[in-house]
Amino acid sequence: MTDAVLECRNVTRRFGGVVALKDVSIAVARGEIFGLVGPNGSGKTTLVNAITGFYPPQQGQILLDGQPINGMKPFRIADRGVARTFQNVALFHGMSVLDNILMGRHIYMKPNPLASLFYPWWAAREETAHRRKVEEVIDLLQLAPARDEYVDVIPLGLQKRVELARALCAEPRLLVLDEPMAGMNQEEKEYMVRFILDAQDALGLTVLIIEHHMDVVTALCDRVLVLNNGQQIAQGPAREAIADPRVIEAYIGKPRDAA
Amino acid sequence: MFYRLSGTYHTSYRADRRLWKVPTDRWLVVALLVLGAFAPLYVSPLYLGSYVLPWVIWSAAALSLTLLMGLAGQLHFGFAAVMAIGAYASIHLTRAGIPFEISLLLSGLIAAVIGAVFGGAALRVKGLYLVMATLAMQYLVDWVVVNVPWISGGAHATLRTPAVSFLLLPLDSLAARYWLALGWAVLLTVFFMNVKRSSFGRALVAIRDKDFAAAVIGVDPFRTKLMAFFTSSFMGGVTGAILAFCFYRAVTPEQFGFNVSIQLVAMVLVGGLGSVIGSWLGAGFVLLAPIFLTNIISALAATGWVPVSQNFLSHLPLMIYGAMIIGFLLLEPLGLAKIYDNIRKYFLVWPFRHARS
Repeated sequence: MTDAVLECRNVTRRFGGVVALKDVSIAVARGEIFGLVGPNGSGKTTLVNAITGFYPPQQGQILLDGQPINGMKPFRIADRGVARTFQNVALFHGMSVLDNILMGRHIYMKPNPLASLFYPWWAAREETAHRRKVEEVIDLLQLAPARDEYVDVIPLGLQKRVELARALCAEPRLLVLDEPMAGMNQEEKEYMVRFILDAQDALGLTVLIIEHHMDVVTALCDRVLVLNNGQQIAQGPAREAIADPRVIEAYIGKPRDAA
Repeated sequence: MFYRLSGTYHTSYRADRRLWKVPTDRWLVVALLVLGAFAPLYVSPLYLGSYVLPWVIWSAAALSLTLLMGLAGQLHFGFAAVMAIGAYASIHLTRAGIPFEISLLLSGLIAAVIGAVFGGAALRVKGLYLVMATLAMQYLVDWVVVNVPWISGGAHATLRTPAVSFLLLPLDSLAARYWLALGWAVLLTVFFMNVKRSSFGRALVAIRDKDFAAAVIGVDPFRTKLMAFFTSSFMGGVTGAILAFCFYRAVTPEQFGFNVSIQLVAMVLVGGLGSVIGSWLGAGFVLLAPIFLTNIISALAATGWVPVSQNFLSHLPLMIYGAMIIGFLLLEPLGLAKIYDNIRKYFLVWPFRHARS
């Protein structure tokens, strides 16, 4: 596969004696939605943390558009165009929804005390220019009614959408979503799927998504990787991969165990 | 009531980000500015020199500290040392013949560099450990100032500030010194509000609220914290210089001791972390409340209403002052700024009880 946005080659990550990831290799093609599936503790979030630089892999390589990014600090990887959301919402509670989403534009801004001092002549231009992009994303995700609320007073479903908006504003080459539907009801999940597909459509995104809900996975993902105990047990088109006997075994056990 | 507001409607992004969106607030600011600027005309020199002037300068100091503690969330318990660096640097620079305006800037830069060096060393740790590291800065700077005669002029020496003028304004009258201090405090206030609505301030708050989430959207944590230390120390250094030239007019190491650092932290906390108006209110409260309490209680004692011993009488204001601080923090942990905000919001929607914010 030549046009891979993200490529992981034999990524291994250990924590002491625990092997959280063992020889995991994936290639996410441009414009694709790639799913990461697996039971709890199978290493999905560890893989995402390896990609975004929080837990650099001890072995193997991670390439973004052919450039190695393993071992880089998280903010440098963000600068290269990887945006992510977190399983537990990680918004900035001291800021409004708008400011949180504006933070997503940070890699394009040049924060500087002097710019702030001469605000009307300097920083205001930056603010207005980036505000346009932010408002596009706010429109896309239908966040306008919550724009001026503080993020800690809005419901969880909305917070997750704000986090998605923040990631989208970075215009990422690769968007990594860590369980964007966690804690949502069926209706909110369906909305979220719609928002992700809309955003992909409008912005031409490449997405790596961790998800537990199989209905969501089959609705969204072109291909998936199934992990179990840090090892990849199946990879391929969504429906085929999750129908693999080893995947079913990892999730609900072997037929003879049921007896 | 006096806000007469049915909502604020913006037609441009710039208008949405303006500082005072409500017309009444704008008039209030203008009125306060006029009152402040003409204070030397209607406030007696005694009150101007011993109450208003220090309040203005300490508000600037509190603003400097709250940029670091309130916005960036980095605790600093040695801020008086930063101000000491600014004060001593400015005196030595003006004595060396450098114009006062330039030596103000340079003393701010010197304080900023030293503050950022300490900050950079301290930034490997967080929370209480950062408090310890900044305390170390306080004691180290104290020690160096006292023990290097070239800086302090001897063990118990007092350095008098030379006669200077700022731009074309000679700082020989109280009014001139007050205007310089007020100008600086107003500049810092405007700066602080602009920081809060620009990318620099957002990066600081992001680091404070969730550092890993800040990193994942491209904020360099170390660089941003260092910038916070640098900026805050620059502001503190110049404020220290202004404190020396406009208020004390002579500096000794004791003016910038550990207790002053704690007093600054108290101003920032009582006022409300990271708040502009909180810095002004907090500085005013910490400076003036003990004085007013002492005056009130001694007046009451003179009329015979407080039948206690003289000894107890001298401690009573401090006890009430302490109780007031605890009371404020218990009832409104977000400080005086939040109390002001509550009152403002009440009148903003009066006679209704709730606003659709």
